[in-house]
Amino acid sequence: MKKTQTKAFSNLVCAIILLIFEGWAYYETYSFKVQKKAYVQPATFPRVMLIGMIVFTLILLIQSLIKVFGTMKENDPDNSPAPPINPFTNKGVLAALFVVLLCCCFTFFFEKLGYVLISAIICAIIMWMVGKRDILVILLVSILVPLVLWFVFYKLLTVNIPMGVLQPLRDLVDKI
Amino acid sequence: MDWSLLFQSYGAIFTSLQVILMALLGATGGVLLGAVPGMTATMGVALLIPFSFGMDLIPSIALLLGIYCGGMYGGSISAILIHAPGTPSAAATLLDGYPMCQKGQAGKALSVALFSSFCGGVLGALIMTFLSPMVAKVAMKFTSAEMLMLAVFGLSVIVSISGKSISKGLIAAFFGLLLATVGQDPTYGAKRFVFSFRPLLSGFSFIPVLIGLFAVSEVIAGVERIVAGDEKQESSHEKLTRVLPDGKTIKTIWPNILFGGIIGTFIGAIPGAGGDIAVFVSYGFNKSFSRHPEKWGTGIPNGVAATESANNGCSGGAMIPLLSLGVPGDAVTAVLLGAFIMKGIQPGPMMYVNELPTVYKVFAALMLANIAMLAVGCVGVRFFAKIVSVEKKMLYPIILIVSLLGAFAINKNVFDIGVCVLFGVVGYLMNKFEFPLSPILLALILGPMCEQNLVRFVDVNNGNFLEILHRPIAMGFFIVSVATIIFSIYNQNKINKREAAAAQAEKAE
Repeated sequence: MKKTQTKAFSNLVCAIILLIFEGWAYYETYSFKVQKKAYVQPATFPRVMLIGMIVFTLILLIQSLIKVFGTMKENDPDNSPAPPINPFTNKGVLAALFVVLLCCCFTFFFEKLGYVLISAIICAIIMWMVGKRDILVILLVSILVPLVLWFVFYKLLTVNIPMGVLQPLRDLVDKI
Repeated sequence: MDWSLLFQSYGAIFTSLQVILMALLGATGGVLLGAVPGMTATMGVALLIPFSFGMDLIPSIALLLGIYCGGMYGGSISAILIHAPGTPSAAATLLDGYPMCQKGQAGKALSVALFSSFCGGVLGALIMTFLSPMVAKVAMKFTSAEMLMLAVFGLSVIVSISGKSISKGLIAAFFGLLLATVGQDPTYGAKRFVFSFRPLLSGFSFIPVLIGLFAVSEVIAGVERIVAGDEKQESSHEKLTRVLPDGKTIKTIWPNILFGGIIGTFIGAIPGAGGDIAVFVSYGFNKSFSRHPEKWGTGIPNGVAATESANNGCSGGAMIPLLSLGVPGDAVTAVLLGAFIMKGIQPGPMMYVNELPTVYKVFAALMLANIAMLAVGCVGVRFFAKIVSVEKKMLYPIILIVSLLGAFAINKNVFDIGVCVLFGVVGYLMNKFEFPLSPILLALILGPMCEQNLVRFVDVNNGNFLEILHRPIAMGFFIVSVATIIFSIYNQNKINKREAAAAQAEKAE
């Protein structure tokens, strides 16, 4: 196995990405307001945390560099294969990416379509995606579960959940 | 202590059908509410307080304490079964509870959680009954210096929950502490990492982050496993023969329950420190003193027992400053304080003089609430354990829509759903690259406490931080923190060496 396919290499890449993020966040702390006569400035605590993060990221970077460019024991846990992240070569990763996309759609359409409808759509799509092929079960679960959840939250826990296009259903429940 | 009055009060509570019914009703509501991610015991108590308006003081307190104790246990149900802690104080339960569920021992994990929660609650109630004035005196000595060092002590546990790589655990912890600074600075109101985006002004809400990191990330990873064909177990078919742990299990977990209960009660008694801190402290403490620390986090009952006993031990602890000083120990007891005042009783030192029978009845009501929680839990364990027998192809989408709804319900804010999804992705990536998630959670809980008390202490002492050396309780916490870190690093090295040796021996065979 090539060293670029090991966990040690993925740690190295993670450490570099983290260092870039930490550098940016540290730079950002200079935009925080400075308080006169304050012993601890608003930027002090985040900076201390970032310095801590940078120190341990550097440790991870050095450890990974030694393992990638030096010698690594065969039974070293970091010598095992790195997790797959390419959605074009791994259908599992592609599915995970699709779930993230569905979650983003859920957030975006939550108020417009309402909880019950968007949940039913997402629930059905995920079930189909993971290989459930019983249409009746898919329909029953995707419709009944969000409906029951909405009813419990709305009626029993008095949490007002957007119903979007299904607003008439709530009016009906209120009348009953 | 007036023993005859104490026995009379216990007798009156345990023979009143109305009080028993109220405690059972409260415990049922609490367990169910606690099990829903996003619904906390505080919310349950606040929700049901109007129902107690027409009742006498003691039945209404029994109802509210029932919800409190039930909610404490309820949080562990979803933590164990779906990797989504129902309440923040159940966050540490999933460290061992969920791996037990994955091993097909969901029922056992639930029964250990129930038994430990009950024992922790009883221990807390007993400490409250016999030691409350003493504990309250110590708790009231806590100023910003002691609170700061308590937070540091809590953070010292991070090393023991970091898993194999301490550096990755500490990166996660500092990342969590950094996340806790997003929003307005608590002292001066300065904007930090807000980027002119108004919803970020109040920072990230804890519950959506919690749900995202654990539940949503698990759904994303679960779907990936199923599609890639890596899902080992489609559903669990564990046959639950007992609702409470057997004698052998109890024999192995009783020290964890005892220490967990005591830690939970004492941390619960400190105003501002609650179950969410106590569970991690208890987990770290029990793991450090375990003969087999390498087994912690792999799904052992000891881990569940240590956290759940501390979790419910807090309920008794939080009542101590409420009754003896009139200062609520946490959010739930703040609501309970309102209930007392509504009934014309002012908790505080004079309550022990003017209303001693009421004080003893509250002690008894807490004990009854714990027994009610055990009874409700025993009935519910078989039912809850069935959840994992649902096919995972159906379970994952259901977990997702429950989780996202839970994230919304806490503040009724769509932004929180976005936060939940964002942290779902962060959690998924962190899991993939073996960064532990629990340190982020602990850091998010303790970060604001740490910063606020640091600023307060330095300001009060005109910038002289070294003044902390003259605070014996704070220094005590500091020394224990350093000892915990050293011990945890030593333990982790021992674990890594043992695992390497085992791997080598396996290879040699």
